[in-house]
Amino acid sequence: MEKHKNFFTIRLDILALAFLLLVGCRPQPNEQEIPGTIRLEFNLQWNGEDCAVGAVQTDHLGHPVRIDNLQMYIAPIEIRNERGEWFEINDVALLDFGIHGQKITTAANVDTYNAIRFGMGLPAEINTDIDPASYANDHPLSVPGSAGMFWTWSSGYVFVKYEGKFATESGAQLIEPLSYHCGTDESYRTVVFELEDAFAIESQELTAFTIDFNAAGALIGEQDAIDIVEDPVTHNAQGTVLGGRLMDLMDDAWNLTRQ
Amino acid sequence: MMHSKQLQTLIAALTLISLTGCERCNPDSCDPPCDAIATPYALEIPPFFPPMDIPEDNPLTVEGIELGRLLFWEKSLSADGTMSCGSCHLPSAGFADPNQYSTGITGAQGFRNAMAIVNIGWSTSFFWDGRTTSLEEQILEPVSHPDEMALPWDEAVTRLKNAPNAATQTDYPSRFAHAFGPGDITAERTTQAIAQFLRTLISADSKFDQWRRGEATLADDEFAGYEMFLREGGDPEVTPGGQFGGDCFHCHSEAGLQFSDYLFRNNGLDSVFFHDPGLAGVTGNGLDSGRFKTPTLRNVALSAPYMHDGRFQTLEEVIEHYNSGGVPSSTIDPFMKYNSGGLTLSAVQKGNLLAFLNTLTDTAFVSDPRFQDPH
Repeated sequence: MEKHKNFFTIRLDILALAFLLLVGCRPQPNEQEIPGTIRLEFNLQWNGEDCAVGAVQTDHLGHPVRIDNLQMYIAPIEIRNERGEWFEINDVALLDFGIHGQKITTAANVDTYNAIRFGMGLPAEINTDIDPASYANDHPLSVPGSAGMFWTWSSGYVFVKYEGKFATESGAQLIEPLSYHCGTDESYRTVVFELEDAFAIESQELTAFTIDFNAAGALIGEQDAIDIVEDPVTHNAQGTVLGGRLMDLMDDAWNLTRQ
Repeated sequence: MMHSKQLQTLIAALTLISLTGCERCNPDSCDPPCDAIATPYALEIPPFFPPMDIPEDNPLTVEGIELGRLLFWEKSLSADGTMSCGSCHLPSAGFADPNQYSTGITGAQGFRNAMAIVNIGWSTSFFWDGRTTSLEEQILEPVSHPDEMALPWDEAVTRLKNAPNAATQTDYPSRFAHAFGPGDITAERTTQAIAQFLRTLISADSKFDQWRRGEATLADDEFAGYEMFLREGGDPEVTPGGQFGGDCFHCHSEAGLQFSDYLFRNNGLDSVFFHDPGLAGVTGNGLDSGRFKTPTLRNVALSAPYMHDGRFQTLEEVIEHYNSGGVPSSTIDPFMKYNSGGLTLSAVQKGNLLAFLNTLTDTAFVSDPRFQDPH
């Protein structure tokens, strides 16, 4: 009797195991907990008009200027629910405005949210003293992922690279270099969008926003203005004042709209 | 009847399979392919180097790498049987060509200097103008190019199929079968084998590497040169953040110890680009005029001449070019310092930079018997 009981118990084990083998490889999703999707589409503008890298624009002082390369780390991207809790939806991304309509698409929990924010640059804990070689090559902070956006192990990454050419007067050839490289922990800024109308993330539904960056706003804002003839270059890894001014101006150069 | 302990062992084994085997039992997802007969090769990634992305359809194998080495040095892959890939990528020259322009079998010359193929497994684009984005694709070109080895690929494949013969002693049909299994010799397999070999050309034992690993000491001038290498260029009164440095590190990035960012830049050699538009010749974008791939500085002391057209014979000339600030143009890289009067380096500083560049020479790499001509 005892032997028969053991055998029966073992057969139950086998049945349970067979069930596991059939259904247990992957967890079955719970329909109630499937998140929604949020998509942020980044767009380059010059004073409210869509523009492209390589196009000639005119700055606030009348100088012809052409942005040839505009890249920027943003980290992290977070959304805030109506209870005031922030949730990270993306840890780090490298925006390249040479790519038209660059999108970041990510999952977000079902809830109602009333704010979006992102860091412009990299938080200190991932900026310096981490070997880029330690990341997988498809990571934005890896060696190939950060090509042209990494200074040194001690000075970290370039947060914003705003490069181009300008002319000192209208009609002249654009050969004067414009080279703004902003970085260092002190230059990290946070861009916050407080939304008048909260938005809901619905299960398996897409919620999309367009985020415009006004490249002209890097040169002039309500509090400051930069003359590119006087100040065409900064290497902010050395903590220049100009780098901080640029980051402050760029902090206010964003606009978000619901698609 | 099976005993209770045997059954429990069976259950344990099945449980283990259920926990670990779900993602691996599909033959289509095996890596390397389940029917491969070649021996997987475990590539050793040196300290501080990034991972190497190896194409899924061309995993490294012992047999594939050895075949690739034979093919890299195979002269019957040129029309008249006088040139191999190695003819223009000499180990003694850091796997570059010591001549300004390489001369093909017809005597015709190209218009660019042959690039050094070192640590090329980490590169994401190939040729000075980046016209190919995979190593396998890059290898296709020199064999059939009329100014280089001038052998149509169908003829190259026929020659390999008919080996060994008077032109080559190597039994290529057998070698290909061992490397790739059943199937014909093809141009694709030939380039795959050479690419496998090239991915093993890893230089990571220069004096600088040894110093980075804590195994050697840099001399004072070498270390001072390294510091110059990492400092921003320019007078801080003119260039905010300038440190009177060499400003080399932006493009020749030390990230991953590759000493290149593998991007494309106009480093101020010319003001017009009719003769060679560089990247613009590939993209058609005028903003890419005069932009060329940043080469690695590894073994740079061995790989003269310098620049895409080999115009400089010595590293002293190269340093002097950057010290001058370069020639203005509408696409010159912002890192060049022409508008601020150049870098204004002293003779001592230039000497220190040179001393540092010499620490990137890896004699063990260029003399490694695994990379030499096996024929």
